[in-house]
Amino acid sequence: MSTTQGVAARDIQANPYHPWPARITSITNLTDKEKLFELRLIDEDVREAFEFQSGQFVELSIFGVGEAPISISSAPSKQGFIELCVRDSGDVTGALHAKQCGDVVGLRGPYGRGFPFEEMKGHDVLLVAGGLGIAPLKSLINHIHDERHEFGKVTILYGSRNPAEVLFRYQFDMWKHRDDFDLILTVDQPDDTWDGETGLVTKLFDQIDVDPDNTYGAICGPPVMYKYVIDEMRKKDMDVDRIYVSFERRMKCGIGKCGHCGVGHQYTCVDGPVFNYWEAMNLQGAI
Amino acid sequence: MFFRVIDKVRLPDLVRGLATEYEVIAPVEKDGRFVYAPLEDPGLLRLDYDTTLLPPKKWFFPAEETLMRFRVADNEVLNDEVAVAPRVLFGLHPCDINALLLMDNVFTGKYPDPYYMRRREKTLLIGVSCTPSDTCFCNVWDTNEVHWGFDVFLTDMGDRYFASCRTVKGAEIIDRFVENRAVIDEDTREFQSVVHDFKDAFHRDVDTTQLPVLLDAKFDSPIWDEFGEKCLSCGACSMVCPTCYCFDVHDRLDPDQKSGVRARTWDSCQFKEFAAVAHGQNFRDSRASRVKYRYYHKQWGYLSKFERVLCVGCGRCARACPAGINPVNVIAALQTGEVR
Repeated sequence: MSTTQGVAARDIQANPYHPWPARITSITNLTDKEKLFELRLIDEDVREAFEFQSGQFVELSIFGVGEAPISISSAPSKQGFIELCVRDSGDVTGALHAKQCGDVVGLRGPYGRGFPFEEMKGHDVLLVAGGLGIAPLKSLINHIHDERHEFGKVTILYGSRNPAEVLFRYQFDMWKHRDDFDLILTVDQPDDTWDGETGLVTKLFDQIDVDPDNTYGAICGPPVMYKYVIDEMRKKDMDVDRIYVSFERRMKCGIGKCGHCGVGHQYTCVDGPVFNYWEAMNLQGAI
Repeated sequence: MFFRVIDKVRLPDLVRGLATEYEVIAPVEKDGRFVYAPLEDPGLLRLDYDTTLLPPKKWFFPAEETLMRFRVADNEVLNDEVAVAPRVLFGLHPCDINALLLMDNVFTGKYPDPYYMRRREKTLLIGVSCTPSDTCFCNVWDTNEVHWGFDVFLTDMGDRYFASCRTVKGAEIIDRFVENRAVIDEDTREFQSVVHDFKDAFHRDVDTTQLPVLLDAKFDSPIWDEFGEKCLSCGACSMVCPTCYCFDVHDRLDPDQKSGVRARTWDSCQFKEFAAVAHGQNFRDSRASRVKYRYYHKQWGYLSKFERVLCVGCGRCARACPAGINPVNVIAALQTGEVR
């Protein structure tokens, strides 16, 4: 335990609640509800000190409205800018959607524990996303892309409700023709334009081969999805501690103090948001 | 540690002396109960209080506080200073000092909280021994003893106090503001006798064996539905708890809409929206799940990080709960599977 003397002796460090101004440098409309924002921290020192891992998040701050935790979608290998894929689903995200290119917002972070990128190197990777769950996985996918030679087989399974809700479709349409990524898209409700798969993302497991001794899994999607995707991975004999999941929980501070994001005996913000399945199994109420 | 003896009749000198350099906050009577309040007159000091309505946490982590002033146009912080004058919190019981030590763990660490820490640095703590009341169960967690975290601790020995000075500052204020003398063997023997009598005065006990395992292994126990049925989700337990630190953050615009403040307020995991996310999902929608989470976090979540439970047995929640939920009964129910 710390002591009164300990507190007195410690210098007050920079205020961790203080958001740093960041300029919106590009906005891409991905779907009716989601936009991709590219942001650049204005202060050069802050920008250079901002190093993150795929799977980590930032607190996006719009003064007068509030803050929201948003996972980073760009890869750590992309320097100087970060990308956030944001659904218009609340006060802060709604206010962000109303912003124009050139406007300034605030950022704090990066926070939390990301995917074990270094540990995944030398192995096959199976990434499974549902809906907006592609947002944090996109960072990992892009990072793997930029260091593709370090990895074995890379398989991406991505399920959406309908073709209009497929995120990053422009990029994934191009990737369909690549040999170095096995990408399978599926939708629950196809339309006439859809040439991909139909049905839940779990159905795609019939089409893939997994080397259970050599594969890392990464899953992100709506809460109901985890159990079923994990079941499929377990049927392929993947190890519980090589299956990684990323959780979404309510957060205010992002730094382990406000208490909102408690999951089991842990906090999503500092202990997660990425957990392996063994850890997640030990978090009561997590999955 | 440095020990002195102070005659009880001299205590007002200490309070008056402190008041010349510090704001003195101490237990005073209010409508038949006790509260910590700025002490206007040493005569109002009530060191015989049982427990205060609110714990001392509010002097470090107020129920509402401004984190920063901001300007909307360029999203800039205008001011995030915390102005705190030197203060003394006088008369804290061991449980409340232990509670602050538990709070310190949360508000320090990798991301030190400057608001809490600034107040903590500026505040001296003077503890005083107590007499257990019928809702106290600090003995269960061994928080009826405190070994550090205070500047001075006064153990009541009838006509005199045994003053344990933990910090340089503590020793200094005793020497400067009140007549005192060195401890002789007779004082130490009396001290031993007093603290043994104090320990013997606790009668409430509850089996706390392997609580983290029980919380996990009995996660689906029907006892939580029973407590959920009783709970009103009023959050009073969190507000009066000396170790509950959860907060909400919200922005408030000035009338001109050009600037405003970001503020934080106490929050409670018992409130329905506490774990709800933007898309409509609520991870703890039922009352039972929220009551369970409160105990789960205190007896296991916090323990997993800091090796202590997040409860000091002050009994304030048991007094405040309009539904009569008492943590001692909740823990007993977890052990036995029966709600009494």
